[in-house]
Order: sequence, then structure tokens, then C-alpha cells
Amino acid sequence: MWAEIAKRLPRFSSAVLTGLDSTGHPVSVRCQPALDHRAQVLRVLVPDGLGMVPGPAGLLCHRHDEQLWRLKSFLLRGSLERTGHDWVFHPHRLVRGMDTTPVSNLRLLRDGRRTARCYLATRGLRRPTIPWDHYAQLKNQDSGTG
Amino acid sequence: MGMLVVPPEVEAVFREVRTCEFTTLAKDNTPITWPTVALYQPDQARFVITTSIGLPHKAYNLRRIPRVAMLYSDPTGSSLATPPAVLVQGDAICPDQIVTRSEELDALGRLIMVRQPVSARYSANPLARWLSDWYLMRLLIYITPRRIRWWPHGDFSRPAAELQVDHVG
Repeated sequence: MWAEIAKRLPRFSSAVLTGLDSTGHPVSVRCQPALDHRAQVLRVLVPDGLGMVPGPAGLLCHRHDEQLWRLKSFLLRGSLERTGHDWVFHPHRLVRGMDTTPVSNLRLLRDGRRTARCYLATRGLRRPTIPWDHYAQLKNQDSGTG
Repeated sequence: MGMLVVPPEVEAVFREVRTCEFTTLAKDNTPITWPTVALYQPDQARFVITTSIGLPHKAYNLRRIPRVAMLYSDPTGSSLATPPAVLVQGDAICPDQIVTRSEELDALGRLIMVRQPVSARYSANPLARWLSDWYLMRLLIYITPRRIRWWPHGDFSRPAAELQVDHVG
């Protein structure tokens, strides 16, 4: 997993680190994690006043273009440790995010359809009908033609 | 709770920034964060997001642990030059009802059509509709903010300004 992290992380100029505060609420900060290849951890700066505490943590890298497309992302599940004044993120698992390549889109369509079918079946629900005409109207209004 | 009143620079972030980094907590308390489009509804002192029943994990997570966070820290695609980074911590609910049409869904749909024009291709023809109908079977998620902090110019090295939401209205 470390090799995959070392390959992917430099493609992003920054990341969002999320941990917990003392009330148990998630708390997030944008940071520039530094790869420590020897220890296979990420070194991060956490502002003093943020209230983040050591424990479970996640690190999201994502980007999109001006049109909210060309999506790229991945998430690291892990834990956060304080060592003196420094903070260290220990990655435990890499989760690939949604991106906008054709293969990824097809995978999303296939998996989403399957998950939705299970969601409905588990609850004994019929498949809802989508009001496509209504969505077409919304689209036309948005483009100024409706 | 009354109307949510925030400084203009924070309000601009809520209205203009394309996605927030939305966090729910997994069963083992690990924060799970993904970019998400959020609808700001100050008159109801809340935010609304939505997810498909084909991607239900954030709904499962917040039904188990309602504590969530939203960070607005990437202004790409917005009209804002150096906006503050804004962190909203709050509590979320996700009703069971599967929604295919509602006022909130329409408002979110308009936001997405403006922000992500390419998304229109998913309803472009009968095949696309068949493949993607599950995506429009939606769950609505309502987030009540409890604490809002912001860092001018997105500079986290400086102290944050703060609003305890229960104290305004």
C-alpha cells in the first residue's frame, strides 16, 4: 500500500486531514502531508487551536476542474498520533475515489445499480419511477430555453 | 432555531464554492471524507446534501453516528479569489424516505447543472436513463450546524474566527 500512496500523493498539491475533537465531532484541516518513506507515515501540520485529538483519522486528496469535472480522489483511512509538537498520520487502508475516466464511470454505473437494487430488496420496496420529464424541464429552465 | 446569520465572506463561500469536504464517521469511528455538493438554506439554519441509494454509505454512517463536518477549502471553479476556508461541525439526519422529486432535490439539481454541466449526459438518451436511474433515487441529508469556524484567505496557520450557532438567530 505504501508504494501506491507514494505514487498518488504527489499528484495533489494538498490534502484534507480529518480527525476527531474532544466532543467526538469530526474536525478537518487542509494540509500538505510529507511522505516519510522510512517510517511509512505522513507527517502533517495541525494548527494548535483546531482541537484535533490523536485517534482515528482520514486523509482525502481530491481535485476537479472549473466545471466540476476531471474528478480525481482517494482517501486514506488511518490514525493520528502526536509525537511531541509533531503529528503523524499512520495510513491503514487506501480507498479509491470516484473519478471521471470511462472505465471508472462504467464501474460506478454497474456497482451503483447493484447496490440500489439490494437497498430496495432489503426493505421490500418497489423500484421508484424517475420523473425524467421533470428533470428535462429543470435542465431547459437552467439553459434558458424553458 | 432561527435564521443562520454569518459574515458575508462566509456566506459567499457557502453559496459559491463548488464542493465541501463532507465527513461522516464509520462504525469504528474513522472519519470518512468525500467531496460533496451542499445546498445552503440559511432561512432554515441548515445545509442539505443528497446521496443515491446506490451510494448509501454516508447515510448509513450518519444514521449510526450523526456527528458530521463540512470543510470548504477548495475554491476551484467558484468566482471567489482568496476566500476563507470554512469548517462547519454539526449533526445530521437522513430520513428513510427515497425521494425522486422534491423542492430540495430540485434546488440541488439546479446547483449541479450549473456547477457540473457534463452531468446532463446521464439523462441524454434512453440507454443512459436505464443505466443511471438508480442515481436519481435519492436520500436527503439535513445538517444542523453547531459550530462554524473560518480562516481568512484559507490560512490555517492563523487563528480562526468562530460562531457558535446556538447563540445566533
